Amino acid sequence: MRKILILIIMSLFSFVSVASADVNFSGKTITWVVPFKEGGGTSRFARFIQPFLKKYLPGNPDVQIMHIPGGGAIKGSNYFEKNAKADGTFIFGSSTSVIVNVATGNPLVKYNLSEYRPVVLLPQNTHWFTRSDLAEPHDLSKIKERKLVLYALKTPASADLFHIWIYDKLGIKGAKPIPGLSSSGGYQAFLRGEIHLSSHGAANYVKKVKPEIEKGKVVDLMTLGIIGADGSVSRNPLAPNAPTFPEMYEKVNGKKLEGDDLEAYYAIGAAWSQASKAMMLPKDASDEIVKAYRDAATKMTNDPEFKAKALKALGPFPLIIGEEAGEIIKKAAVFSDTTKKQLNAALKKHKFTYRVQ
Amino acid sequence: MEQLLAALFQLFEPTHLAFLFAGTLLGLIVGILPGMGGTSGLALVLPFVFTMEPSHALAMMIGVLAPTTTSDTFPAVLMGVPGTSGSQATVMDGFPLSKKGMAARALSAAFSASLLGGVFGALILSISIYYAIPIIMAFGFGEQFLLVVLALLMVGALTGDNLFKGIASCFLGLIIGSIGTAPITGDPRYTFDTLYLLEGVPLVVVGLGLFAIPEIVGLLDAKGSIAKSLNTKKGWFTGLKDVVKNWFLVLRCSTLGCLVGALPGLGGTVVDWIAYSHLKQTTKDTSQFGKGDIRGVIAPESANNAKEGGALIPTLIFGIPGSGNKVLLLGGFVLIGIEPGLDMVTTNLDLTYLMIWSLAIANILGAGICMGFSSQISKFTLVPYYILAPVMVCLIFFATFNFNRDWYDFIGLMSFGLIGITFKNFGWSRPALLIGFFLSTKVELLSYQTQAVYGLSFLTRPVSIILIILCLATIVLLTKQKFDKYYRSDFVKGKLTQIYYNIILLCLPLSMIWFTINLDYRANLFPISLSLIAFFLLTFILIIKIADLKNLSFLNYTIIKFARSNIFEIGGNFKIQIYYYLSFIGFLLMNFIFGFPIAAALFINIFILFHNRKAYVSSICISAALMVILWALSSLLTLQFPNGLIGLFIDLPWWLGGQLN
Repeated sequence: MRKILILIIMSLFSFVSVASADVNFSGKTITWVVPFKEGGGTSRFARFIQPFLKKYLPGNPDVQIMHIPGGGAIKGSNYFEKNAKADGTFIFGSSTSVIVNVATGNPLVKYNLSEYRPVVLLPQNTHWFTRSDLAEPHDLSKIKERKLVLYALKTPASADLFHIWIYDKLGIKGAKPIPGLSSSGGYQAFLRGEIHLSSHGAANYVKKVKPEIEKGKVVDLMTLGIIGADGSVSRNPLAPNAPTFPEMYEKVNGKKLEGDDLEAYYAIGAAWSQASKAMMLPKDASDEIVKAYRDAATKMTNDPEFKAKALKALGPFPLIIGEEAGEIIKKAAVFSDTTKKQLNAALKKHKFTYRVQ
Repeated sequence: MEQLLAALFQLFEPTHLAFLFAGTLLGLIVGILPGMGGTSGLALVLPFVFTMEPSHALAMMIGVLAPTTTSDTFPAVLMGVPGTSGSQATVMDGFPLSKKGMAARALSAAFSASLLGGVFGALILSISIYYAIPIIMAFGFGEQFLLVVLALLMVGALTGDNLFKGIASCFLGLIIGSIGTAPITGDPRYTFDTLYLLEGVPLVVVGLGLFAIPEIVGLLDAKGSIAKSLNTKKGWFTGLKDVVKNWFLVLRCSTLGCLVGALPGLGGTVVDWIAYSHLKQTTKDTSQFGKGDIRGVIAPESANNAKEGGALIPTLIFGIPGSGNKVLLLGGFVLIGIEPGLDMVTTNLDLTYLMIWSLAIANILGAGICMGFSSQISKFTLVPYYILAPVMVCLIFFATFNFNRDWYDFIGLMSFGLIGITFKNFGWSRPALLIGFFLSTKVELLSYQTQAVYGLSFLTRPVSIILIILCLATIVLLTKQKFDKYYRSDFVKGKLTQIYYNIILLCLPLSMIWFTINLDYRANLFPISLSLIAFFLLTFILIIKIADLKNLSFLNYTIIKFARSNIFEIGGNFKIQIYYYLSFIGFLLMNFIFGFPIAAALFINIFILFHNRKAYVSSICISAALMVILWALSSLLTLQFPNGLIGLFIDLPWWLGGQLN
């Protein structure tokens, strides 16, 4: 039975590749623009996918990665908008910061990300935790009683902006940001006992935080939660006992996460978690080209070598491929006015002058 | 113990050694090119790491990283251009030695000091890695803040001949460093709504502009080759003997380098200066410093190579890169499946040892090769400078571009070049400006962070107290620094120009206040307070200058007297230097028209032929070689060089500035 199923799937794929046979990149070079430096997360994502792309795109084209760092990822993104051809020889490596630049209305942004054609999204998830002497696991009540709850904040113009909103919605009145700290610098300060609340993405959570939890020094508080295609939120398999943000919200506020708050949560979740890293085609790319790319991506996820290495290189969350990805990018890159109002209210409450435009 | 043996076995495996050697060779070549350094070397290797066997990739990366601080001594000593930020202090005495024809002595002293420093650093590291965790955990925001203050104070010892001009330079550096996004609020400061200034000016641009361009211009002004004659045979052994004689200095500076390198955040940029100022403070006869004292080469070289080992500690344990090249190293680690963390000193200790000792071996290899070829390469200094200079300018432009790949960096480079030339000619301190610039963001952030977490209570923490004592000791040493009591400014020409320059400098703090006054107080408190201090310092210096010009009598009071010493600088031929500088601007314009590769070839030919019509063979060969190198680099790194307007009209190959694909 199982064999038959596999056969059917395989024949489906072969049908798919026949359908996109008119797209052929043989002899061409594909340029993957990454608006960050070599060695960063988006660069690593691109490098990992690069050989599979060559293997599965029709015509096996060479794929070269072009790093254009600077201006908080705006420079490379603007470069792509201006120079990329829509014939499938240009792809773009996006990340949360690329999206946040658009969503928060940075005036220097010249790229219209919501119209791009996403091929693959690599989701991430955020974990919140604290020291074991400050709170019980999965319980914010002691934290909320504290007069001063310090946490790391890179700048309010970065994705860390979402922390301000999250802590505000959970009613942590003592929350005070320590500015200019990256997540790894913040975690350092947290281990030194200088700040109280800390957070990490899934990869670093496994590497750096889990060992401390096992030693009993650190306790889980919550995770952002994994948002499904239908809008349902499930727990993060890396910390299955930790509540998700909507669960925590309900526990703290005594009512379900809904209305404007839910809308803001979806927008934040899309930008921060679901579209953490992405590979996109320019907005004018034809449907055939988008399809050829998506087919190649689907084949890649079935490649035994990919399966063997993906967990370590990309993390535990499955890639999002197809139309669903486009919806997520739209949600992430275009914040509604109510979401913007929500974020700005949180900013104002914590005496920030920066505003989402 | 088992882990030690396992590491030893793997270390001497032939394939491991082969890859280490290959990496070392690449690192050496890259290090010789000014401004390239370990970061570019790793960037070159990184694309290949993914396909390599992890242990080979590791050997290759360590190999590339280790010798760059050794081979960068060549440009520092021979051309007065620091190859990497770690060799800026080497220039101070290394280059004067070259000018005296003692390049071989300086080089062999530098290489052997570098070698010893590297090996000693690895040795310290092998032992200290056990104690690393508690030490690093003891460095909170307050301690880091005091550490930065200490670094700034130590630079005070290097501020040049006039204390006030030195401090003012440092404050100007701090102000320039505060340009860009305000770290607390995200407000753009002094950016004029441009994308380029949003992240501030890149360090590489400031460093190359301040140090490399003035040296090239100064040498063109002096006319001729770097050295008049070479004394290579003797120099070789003298250099070795110098190091043996100063063994204790090597020991102290490599310990210093290893320690500073291990401190998170401070990074390698300051370590050579700290070693240099340590040398200055502990030496009785300082008269020869800056004029060609061999100890001025030994101290920074032993420190900057030892620091590479030390810097591995925060990189390996915390995954916090101490410098640009460590960022790339970390990237490479992740690619081959090495995860930084406390595991590196527990379960993965063998891997850590393998890295440390590979570093030591690569150091020995690198220094050996450099020494073997040093007398050959020193002949470079006999090449007429009008041939070297245009090549150097092209290399600097390339290095600048390679770092950030931004057109505007060229403009930044030329601006800081002008600042460098004027600073050098008018006696303001370039190192102080650079250190202020580099540490500016750290000072601002750490002061906010310390205040938010501790208030003033951080001052009573044990490590803080040690650091405060060190700071006070540095201040005492500073006040004891000798100043020329019998300074006479009678023979200085162009005093008025220097007074006008002082007024121009005043514009920076004033305009900074003007542009940031309306921002949130958390965004403008730092730049405005710096600007106010800088304003008062500059005004004070201006008053002293005018008083000196008018020969007012109040200058003879002892308190005022030391403010007067070296208030004016006897510079070189400033006008000629500016002419040469303008020819570089011409090169910049050619870049806009033709794109970098073609402009470089044209510039080299025009510049050389303008000085010597008969040298066409050299000019054509050199420019052809440069083109080949640029082409190779372009294909290896997927680099597109800055393209010119010409690309819009003519169909050019991609790497010359044509359309992609």
